[in-house]
Amino acid sequence: MATATAQVNYLEAKKGIMSWLFSVDHKRIGLMYLYALITFFLVGVTLGLLMRYELLNPGKDLVEAKTYNQIFTLHGVIMIFLFIIPSIPAVFGNFFLPIMLGTDDVSFPRLNLLSWWVYIIGAIMALSTLVFGDGPADTGWTFYAPYSVKTGTNVTMSVLAAFVLGFSSILTGLNFIVTIHRLRAPGMSFTKMPLFAWALYATSWIQLLATPIIGITLLMIVAERTLGVGLFDPSIGGDPILYQHLFWIYSHPAVYIMALPAFGVISELLPTFSHRTIFGYKAIAYSSLAIAFVGYFIWGHHMFTSGMSGTARFIFSMLTFLVAIPTAIKVFNWVATLYKGSIDVQTPLLYALAFIFQFMIGGFTGLILGALATDIHLHDTYFVVGHFHYVMFGGTGFAFFGALHYWYPKIWGRMYNKLVANIAFVIFFIGFNTLYFPMFISGLMGMPRRYYDYLPEFHIPNIISTVGSWILALGLILMIVNLIVGRFRGRKVTERDPWGGITLEWQTPTPPPVQNFDRLPELPKNGPYDYEHKPQIKD
Amino acid sequence: MAQSHDQHQDNHHDGQHHAVPYSEHVRTLVALLFLTAITVVVSVFGAALSTLSVFTALFIATVKVVVVAYYFMHLKYEKKIYSGLVLLVGVLFVALSVLTALEYLNR
Repeated sequence: MATATAQVNYLEAKKGIMSWLFSVDHKRIGLMYLYALITFFLVGVTLGLLMRYELLNPGKDLVEAKTYNQIFTLHGVIMIFLFIIPSIPAVFGNFFLPIMLGTDDVSFPRLNLLSWWVYIIGAIMALSTLVFGDGPADTGWTFYAPYSVKTGTNVTMSVLAAFVLGFSSILTGLNFIVTIHRLRAPGMSFTKMPLFAWALYATSWIQLLATPIIGITLLMIVAERTLGVGLFDPSIGGDPILYQHLFWIYSHPAVYIMALPAFGVISELLPTFSHRTIFGYKAIAYSSLAIAFVGYFIWGHHMFTSGMSGTARFIFSMLTFLVAIPTAIKVFNWVATLYKGSIDVQTPLLYALAFIFQFMIGGFTGLILGALATDIHLHDTYFVVGHFHYVMFGGTGFAFFGALHYWYPKIWGRMYNKLVANIAFVIFFIGFNTLYFPMFISGLMGMPRRYYDYLPEFHIPNIISTVGSWILALGLILMIVNLIVGRFRGRKVTERDPWGGITLEWQTPTPPPVQNFDRLPELPKNGPYDYEHKPQIKD
Repeated sequence: MAQSHDQHQDNHHDGQHHAVPYSEHVRTLVALLFLTAITVVVSVFGAALSTLSVFTALFIATVKVVVVAYYFMHLKYEKKIYSGLVLLVGVLFVALSVLTALEYLNR
């Protein structure tokens, strides 16, 4: 299909802002998600830096207690609902899934554009809480009842924003499931799909099946606040533990909406930079499904101290340990992939290695919290804050930036300054660990989370954390400036496969044409990572 | 490019276009209306049936979902894997409900 239109790359095919805002091209939609996500991420980072500054010393440094509560709530809502849940699927899934499958677009391109618009509307609603009424919600991102029913802050708008954002997530998940079932290239069976596609497939099922539960739960809060229906507030006949069940039935699987795509990214980065077949392809693929499945049944571990029944606590603790098995299967296979590979140390690989290191710390501390006895001590302490930031930021966040550095030349046809990118990575990595590791210590010492003040014995770990936040911000600024400069002044990349990758996106021109391929892509003989029979790619 | 969008779709349908007679739609509609009528009757006499009325309503609703998915949503004409996926969703829903109910009953 080597027509003239097909040869024009997607960046130059049409000009003007409207050609982007109403584009149904999956690549342009992916980029629109990227720009929006990075914007909201930077807002979330700014709020995080404010929190850390407030915690530099005991007592008031910068803001009042109520404002602090609103800052950490908005930080959580933005980072969870606006950044990390959509992050990898919406940006890199949209851009690369169809190309990796050898097709020209997702199954429902218009629905894809609608997802982006719904996302933007939800984002505007979330941010509007800053300027309307009594300010943003002060409940924490979990909107726990009955406080969320009683507080005078803008809870109704915040939960409606999360409700709308959920629709975007559902539509993207639906689109990906249908695309993977219906639009794979001839000869690409499920077991010949790239692992990134497998990860997105497992993620999409969670998006499709779990998100409606949070949607209806949040509407129940609105019903209780506006109509006085006694659902969660015990003073009017409700059950607050029911709220926690319904919230976590979505929000724990949502952890895997955040983590599984990151696993997919790592499964792409490691074979490319080891130049060898991935170890245990099927084990990694099926473990994604296993994580998605088991992840549905462990939500109760967020509620060990909530007054839930003893039987349920025991069952949920046992089930929680089960999820470690497929996760460990992945990690062992990743490490085995590196073994005896021809390792090419490039920036994306550094992010992948940091991911494994940090995700392991996040995972193991998760087991400590999954055990009933230790959780009683550690629940709602800074240990939990350290744990989930190691999983979400140290894991998914690093995978996101690894993916950005990996697919950057394919997306824009330019290369960033690799030396600066490596320096930014080192600063970012040091900053991250300086910021979050002390939280394990202060948490073990008993420092509670979500307080704007603390006792003097927690002062030192808090100073270290705050200094870490400044280092992390420095690394982030350097990374983003380098990527922006590279976009306009970086070396032009015209070769199709600058990293020596093997999946189908490396067979397309750089940047890809509107229709994705200018010639029939060739599948490797024995699966997607068969470096022994790698197709010869001519530029 | 491997294949265009439309070609892909055609291949997966394997060219087997199933023409559904109107009579099948009508029969399905009548069945759904009949089940709705039973639901109404059960709700009217619900007080006499006590807890059983809730289970009856849930059972009838489940049957209606299956009928809609099978006939109106063409699951009948799809490969078995898609029926399996829908069944899996049902199992998941039941499992989540049972687990939550177990916690409540043991509290």
